Amino acid sequence: MIRSLARPARQYGLQVVILVAIIVTLVIVAPTFRGEAAIYATLERLVLLGIATAGIAVTMIAAELDLSVGSMAVLAGVVAVQLSGLGLVPSIAIATLVGIVLGAAQGWLIAKLGINSLVFTVGTLILLKGAAWIAAGGAPITVTDFTITDPLLMRFWMFSPLSTVAILVLVAVGVFLVWTKWGREIYAIGGSRPEAIAAGVPIRRPMVVAFAIAGACGALAGALASMKGGSVTPDSYSNLVLSCVAAALVGGISLYGGRGDMINIALGVLIVAVLSAGLSAMGMQSFVSELLTGMLLLAVIVIEFVIGRVLGRRKLRRLQFAAAA
Amino acid sequence: MPTDTSTNAATTAAISNVVGTRTRRVDLAKWALPVILLVLVIVAGLTTPGFASFDNLRAILINASIVGIVAVGMTPVTLSGNFFSLGASSSVMLAAVLFIGVFGGTGSLFLALLVTIGVLVAVGVAQGLVVAAGLNPVITTLAAGTIIYGLVTWLSNGAVITPNGADMRWIALTSWFGLPLPIYIFAAYTLVTWFVVERTVVGRRILLIGANRESAKISGTSARTTTVWAFLSMSVGMAVAGIVAGAQLQQIQSNDLPNLTMDTVAAVLVGGTSINGGEGSPLRSAIGAILIVALGNIMLLHGLPTGYRMLGVGLLVVVVVSVLHILRKASLK
Repeated sequence: MIRSLARPARQYGLQVVILVAIIVTLVIVAPTFRGEAAIYATLERLVLLGIATAGIAVTMIAAELDLSVGSMAVLAGVVAVQLSGLGLVPSIAIATLVGIVLGAAQGWLIAKLGINSLVFTVGTLILLKGAAWIAAGGAPITVTDFTITDPLLMRFWMFSPLSTVAILVLVAVGVFLVWTKWGREIYAIGGSRPEAIAAGVPIRRPMVVAFAIAGACGALAGALASMKGGSVTPDSYSNLVLSCVAAALVGGISLYGGRGDMINIALGVLIVAVLSAGLSAMGMQSFVSELLTGMLLLAVIVIEFVIGRVLGRRKLRRLQFAAAA
Repeated sequence: MPTDTSTNAATTAAISNVVGTRTRRVDLAKWALPVILLVLVIVAGLTTPGFASFDNLRAILINASIVGIVAVGMTPVTLSGNFFSLGASSSVMLAAVLFIGVFGGTGSLFLALLVTIGVLVAVGVAQGLVVAAGLNPVITTLAAGTIIYGLVTWLSNGAVITPNGADMRWIALTSWFGLPLPIYIFAAYTLVTWFVVERTVVGRRILLIGANRESAKISGTSARTTTVWAFLSMSVGMAVAGIVAGAQLQQIQSNDLPNLTMDTVAAVLVGGTSINGGEGSPLRSAIGAILIVALGNIMLLHGLPTGYRMLGVGLLVVVVVSVLHILRKASLK
């Protein structure tokens, strides 16, 4: 019983403790951050941050990193707003499709060349941003008919259509990663690539799938956020990728791949979202939550590092003991 | 015995043969970049009206100086196998804020330089120590950058910081032989960093831990100390870049310089310094920065709007890093 709890405790324990601590602190110090309104405000932050983080985290699990997600988001935002005449769902769907295709092409090229994805996506980050500027015609653009985006502003209890989509995306990506063969392949190439190759896992398919998911999530996040706002500037979302990487790392996804699942991603995104929603309910400006997120990130990484060291040492001692006996 | 000698000779010949082709191919990768830049300049000079003028070439160098200085400074970190700093924008912004703030507040240039370089080195060495302890450099610099941004915005209330009457314009405008001071600073900083990397013990150690950390450790090189040196070198570059940027802009806000981090990384990578460390040079990062700015300038002279210029630069980065990667892979075969 204790042993069966040890793994989840190690995998999610720290993040759950941080999340509870933040919620308790906010409930005590922020009298305005209560109940339905607080949950609604938190969930609304999942739209951009949550969906995009899910995408980046999939590439992190594959031991890669897609830095171009922010540019994908702004390109999709521009496409969606430009096509808003077609209706709400078609324009967002086409924008997301653009993200899937570009993401898959990117993954294919990275796998084909065998190049470091960090290096390659620094280039595509600039390239896609340029494409977004061109698609926007070099200036901020707005939705022509604002009634089209009205459904996005509806609210059912504490959910909006957007936060519902965000939750569904998180669940879908999580189920895909853990329960399907293609998802398991992403874990395999991330956990230890030489062993995965030796075991016969194809490298190209999981790479294409991982980057297609990253592209799709980035595009969907950008399209939804831009349609909700009714306008998009071609240089927006330039900091998105760093916030997303921070959220994924706080949640316990490793940059070295193979570690963490959608519960980790959800916890990381929730920690950042609750923190920023709570602080903004207290009237703090956004840089305060950025500052705290940065400190939290450093704290989580140091704690994980120390835990890893201690566990490693304990295991070594146990092995030495066993060898001596 | 004789058979042994002949096998040895054959092996040696085989090895020298391999090494020979390898050097030749690496040389190709090494010279590709200056050649691309040269071809670009010649072709542009012949086809683009206004490109080859002295004023335009000077403008390219001025525009490349900030990104160039940061890229050159970041190169030792990349060479040591620690990727790059994702907090470059925030650090340079911090340097500019400190320089303008202290200079404007006290009127003393010496004090401003001292505080700027001192604080930046302290921040950089702190990150270096954390990375040297075994933490991931990408995460560490990302967290540090976020914290620096938050702190500066908090302490400055997000306001624009101005020099308050202190005269720092001369740093950006003093010129000799028609070239302003920032270009000389860029050149001097590049030469110093090049000398440190290529000709000093610390520099060779930086290359060694990047090329092969295990054998570096076995041969008695402290990865810890060397990593801290690499970060120290980077923070000096960021301090210098911040001072030049502050003098050029004459004011600074915590939200300025948003694209600096990625531009710098692009310059280092286009320069051809390997992300895995051990291979590359600060000189090449400087050329990478100039190449990117020159391409943007040519497209600007042809009247292309922002989007096409970004697309062109992005395409350049993707193509150059892919080709360099293929050349490098071929040289290992």
